Amino acid sequence: MQSSISRQYIYLIVVSLFLFIFVLIFSFGVLIPEGKEYRIKRVELKKADKELRQYENFHYETLDTLKELQSTNRAIITAFDASFKPERFEKQNKGYFSSLSLSKVEFREVEEAFAVYEVNTTSEISSPKSFYDFLDSVNKSDWIIGINFPIDFKREGELIKSSFTMKVYSNSKETNSTASESVDK
Amino acid sequence: MKYSYVTPRNKTAITQEVQLLLSFFTITILMLLFTYTFLLYKNYSFAKDKQETLIEQANVEQSLQSMKKSIAFIESQKMLSEKVYTQNSVLKDSITNLFDLVPLRITLSEAKLLKNGLILYGITPNKDVYNFMLQAPLRSIFHRTYSSFYPAQNGWYRFVSTNYVDEEELDSAK
Repeated sequence: MQSSISRQYIYLIVVSLFLFIFVLIFSFGVLIPEGKEYRIKRVELKKADKELRQYENFHYETLDTLKELQSTNRAIITAFDASFKPERFEKQNKGYFSSLSLSKVEFREVEEAFAVYEVNTTSEISSPKSFYDFLDSVNKSDWIIGINFPIDFKREGELIKSSFTMKVYSNSKETNSTASESVDK
Repeated sequence: MKYSYVTPRNKTAITQEVQLLLSFFTITILMLLFTYTFLLYKNYSFAKDKQETLIEQANVEQSLQSMKKSIAFIESQKMLSEKVYTQNSVLKDSITNLFDLVPLRITLSEAKLLKNGLILYGITPNKDVYNFMLQAPLRSIFHRTYSSFYPAQNGWYRFVSTNYVDEEELDSAK
């Protein structure tokens, strides 16, 4: 019995079917999973980009805050970084006193992460006003200095002999220059 | 001898239909392969970009932490300096008030300012002037006031006034 379909057509159908199955397998087995991965990765990248932008915005805001803090507190930062020099202190403040002498600077303690040095001071003043002016100038000096108790005023002829202790605050070794470093950044 | 007037065509397995079919599938497969290559490249590119983004984010985060630390440190410096400056100003006011407190008729020879007290040495014409003009205001400031007198050569009195603030009472008042 002779078939009505020619060999030519059978050949054509077989090739078509083979290629069609290949296309189907390739599409569903490889292309669609890869496409899904593409979509997931694109969403993930967008999310990561968004997060990075948020971080960057916060970074710029924080940087602005830091720069503003640094510029407004420049004198304080420098004062904490500076090491106390008795000769320079005497030179700067001798105008308020008839005589001024400082003892050796001694490390006393660490207070709130800052090193505290103590200096005993003896001086002679002509009037209490000189001492008031000195207290005003201490707050504008190159160091962070707190005048500490006990303070003794004793009349000696026309002059008042005063003795008091000064606490000099400075960055401790661990924290030293942290603020300055951040300026460079 | 010819049996037909038509020139016989060459018989081949790749007929026009097969050619058409092959062209169609070739184009389809090429498009699929192109799409696959595109997806592979994009997936690689996304993964690489994400990795770079995460590294950059980590760097930004590290920089942020460092800046926050610097801000906290500067703020602590500011707070401490303000505390010290305020203490100096308060001390100045205290000394001003102390010297304003002493009436003209009483002369101080020594004043010791302590953390929780005040010791005054001086000379007064008589005890009443001291009691009314110096001791009374001192009593209003300090919790405990002790006075002792020694007669001076000119008939006046040398006095020692010791005054203390009880820190416990100050704490309870706060």
